[in-house]
Amino acid sequence: MIKIRIAELNVLIHNIYPYCESFCAAYRAEFDTADIEVAVSEEEVQKEMADGTGAFPVGYYEVICVYRKIALCLPQFGGFVFHASVVECDGKAYAFAAPSGTGKSTHTRLWLKVFGDRARVINGDKPIFRLTEKGWYAYGTPWQGKEHWGANAAAPLQALCFLTRAEQNRIEPLGDEEAVGRLFHQVLLPSDAATADRFLTLLDDLITHTPTYLLGCNMNDDAALVAFSGMQKEN
Amino acid sequence: MIRSDEFIKRKIGTQFVIVAVGTASKKFSGMISVNSTGSFIWDQLEKNITMDELVAALTDYYDIDAETARRDAEGFVDTLKGVGAIAE
Repeated sequence: MIKIRIAELNVLIHNIYPYCESFCAAYRAEFDTADIEVAVSEEEVQKEMADGTGAFPVGYYEVICVYRKIALCLPQFGGFVFHASVVECDGKAYAFAAPSGTGKSTHTRLWLKVFGDRARVINGDKPIFRLTEKGWYAYGTPWQGKEHWGANAAAPLQALCFLTRAEQNRIEPLGDEEAVGRLFHQVLLPSDAATADRFLTLLDDLITHTPTYLLGCNMNDDAALVAFSGMQKEN
Repeated sequence: MIRSDEFIKRKIGTQFVIVAVGTASKKFSGMISVNSTGSFIWDQLEKNITMDELVAALTDYYDIDAETARRDAEGFVDTLKGVGAIAE
């Protein structure tokens, strides 16, 4: 059993394999009352392993199962898992989303290079977005992708940015029609009707209060500068 | 025809989307983005109605001719049937 704190929530994990403990090490916490409690069965882990490449140790598949279960509990706390790379710059979080292979990691790397000490990665793959009293926040989690980029940190969400490759760097605000279509590719909708309903209400709030952009970018430093300046405007 | 109770329509920003929940979400995990006409049609399908009744509802509500209404309705109904969101 492991106790961790993510997105300001106490999470109790009944794990089977020890890998889960080292995986979550940076998020260990002590508490008496859990907000979220999850347990994964051996059958679920084996199924995950069979569905996946099977190229990793069994503990790896357990942590995937664990996160999926945690994710399903988040909507009741105003949160959800969003597939994106979140960079904090000057204290604000910028989320970059794109299909695999589009250059999310490359663009994230550009921000770290161009903005130096002003920037850090909150989570490179699967951050939690949560609606707080102060608005939407992006939170780091142990599930931070193959680059292992992330921090046990949080920052207010400034903008959502969808990436496409382009010769010339340009950024433009997205209309809701396009933003909503792209948004759904980055989330896993819960199948339980009540949770799905809560989730959709949260997506509505997110898109109503968070500016969304489409960034066409190449791999030059200029891409980070164009993206940053384009996302400073208040919608 | 009547809509399946395993599909729900919700507002996301200025858009409407229809998604599957429950067991239907195992077969259809995407979402259908709908405009205001699609949203209107979905609301009509809460009760069991015929295509003729749907077309009549559309021409009553919107300033469109029956031919346009039927084309819009049939296209959208086909989409909904395709994902299992309408029971015959």
